Amino acid sequence: MTEKPIQGERKMFLTGNEVVAWAALAAKVDIMYGYPITPQNEIMHYWTRMAPKYGKKFLQTEDELSAGFTTIGGVLAGKKAFTATAGPGNTLMQEPISMAEMMRIPTVVVIQQRGGPSTATVIYSQQEVTMTTYGGNGEGFRVVYSTATHQELFDYTIKAFNTAWKYRFPTFVLGDGYQAKMRESLHIYDPEEKGIKLVEPTPTLSRPGQIGVNREPNHIRNTYNTEEELYQIVMGYAKEYAEISPEIIEFQEQDVDDAEIVIVSHGVVSRAALAATQELRKAGYKVGYFRPITLRPFPTERMRAVAANTKKLLVVESALGQLNKLVLNEIYGLTTPIETLLKPGVGVTSEEIVTRIKSLL
Amino acid sequence: MVCVGVKIIEERIVEAYVGEYASGKSENAVNRALELVRSGRQVNLVDLDLVEPFYTLRPIKQELTNMGLKVIAWETGETMGLGEAGSIIKPEMRWALQRPGDVILDIGYGVEGAKTLNLVEGAAQNPDLKVFAVVNVYRPMTSTINEIISYVSELGLVHGLINNSHLGDETQIKDIEEGARIVTEAAKELRLPVVATAVDIKLKKEFSTGHDCMGNPVRFLTRFMQNTFW
Repeated sequence: MTEKPIQGERKMFLTGNEVVAWAALAAKVDIMYGYPITPQNEIMHYWTRMAPKYGKKFLQTEDELSAGFTTIGGVLAGKKAFTATAGPGNTLMQEPISMAEMMRIPTVVVIQQRGGPSTATVIYSQQEVTMTTYGGNGEGFRVVYSTATHQELFDYTIKAFNTAWKYRFPTFVLGDGYQAKMRESLHIYDPEEKGIKLVEPTPTLSRPGQIGVNREPNHIRNTYNTEEELYQIVMGYAKEYAEISPEIIEFQEQDVDDAEIVIVSHGVVSRAALAATQELRKAGYKVGYFRPITLRPFPTERMRAVAANTKKLLVVESALGQLNKLVLNEIYGLTTPIETLLKPGVGVTSEEIVTRIKSLL
Repeated sequence: MVCVGVKIIEERIVEAYVGEYASGKSENAVNRALELVRSGRQVNLVDLDLVEPFYTLRPIKQELTNMGLKVIAWETGETMGLGEAGSIIKPEMRWALQRPGDVILDIGYGVEGAKTLNLVEGAAQNPDLKVFAVVNVYRPMTSTINEIISYVSELGLVHGLINNSHLGDETQIKDIEEGARIVTEAAKELRLPVVATAVDIKLKKEFSTGHDCMGNPVRFLTRFMQNTFW
């Protein structure tokens, strides 16, 4: 009998990558598949250091295509499985994740965004938003949680497995190189002790019983013969995705009710946005803060209400308008002007946001 | 002691800081080097993180140089590619122990990193070399007495432990003391001394005796590493 990885609640000082590995253990994940890439490497390092102690498994594959497909294999066999990658690895990962989207396979992928295009930097960016939300040859039927703190990395990694297995859409935890490497304290806990019910994995293939005798065949497909057949399937998924979206959507906001300008940001940048909002409010500026936590599905209804109720939006991100593109799409029809502070591959400080807001008001 | 004419040259200080990833090796090495500089000594600080050679001391190299340290670390312009694309030891690092003055070695990346010491010419024979393992009990692999014992045993040559237990900005006195108790207990089992308990300078007043609750000397840290990448 292996011991439980986390007993009770403990305060720890961890890097974001370690947080993910611990969260996966806490979520009772059976196996990680992976191929190394900075800045997510330590997720694998820590998983492989802890895995044998808790009877867990790991497979290093030859590349990210294979890491994605083996993750799918693990899930089909009824195991809670995940992988983690970044940058060009995420690009390759889109092929297996498109398959997971089509075959409704509850894969979990943790992304620690790095600079792009291509190899670029190993350090940091928010340039994988478009790819993570809508990458692959499909319609973006996936869930993307964008985290901002180590506590959230822990909470949402656990949640990602539940979301994936409950709704059977591929689920991403979207972090970044700063979160990956930064050290911060957080509470780690056993989710079940906190009353969080973990969804039990079940095998998709090789289920018990005999086809035609005591069970139906389970024919999962990613290939269809005709346009009409595909159309029916995709539209069915779209309808289902729209129906479950309200249950999944999450966002965070502050001081939006009387705000003359609302800062819209996500992930680690929202920490700077929140600090700027608080500082500006203290100085008497009517500033608000809005942050989608789920980038897919996007909190459209609330984003539109916030945009309609303010004079201006300021979209801030470490990319050249990837969040901005999502926001524009969601608020189409409103006339609220959008200003931007876009720094592809570079961090954004609260001071920069404060300066920009002051120049806009 | 060696006498040259009438000038007395003290024994030099050669210390290597090893330990678990993100245990605080660099912060402790930097602060120790600066402490020696302030006492009027000539000090070399060597960044031996060969896994991520561009991120550790590089961003604060100029600042430390201005404070009187000789910093031996890569600079971006001297190299091409990324840490993950391969690591090279800088010739100055290999021969660091031949330099005049004290030498503080900041050795990155856990157990594998500790093996980097083998690449430093003369390290194995150096009679002055002291290797200190930096331990933060709030880090996952070194949380308990047993974990510390097995971790330090894997590091190879170690002469002492440094209790660097903290929770970042949220650190309270009781957290440091809890760390001191666990690290001291582990050190006893390992038959090693606790060289120091490292405490953020902000908490200096609380440790006015210069010792922690276990009687270990306290070293105060000014935090430089927050201005680096990782």
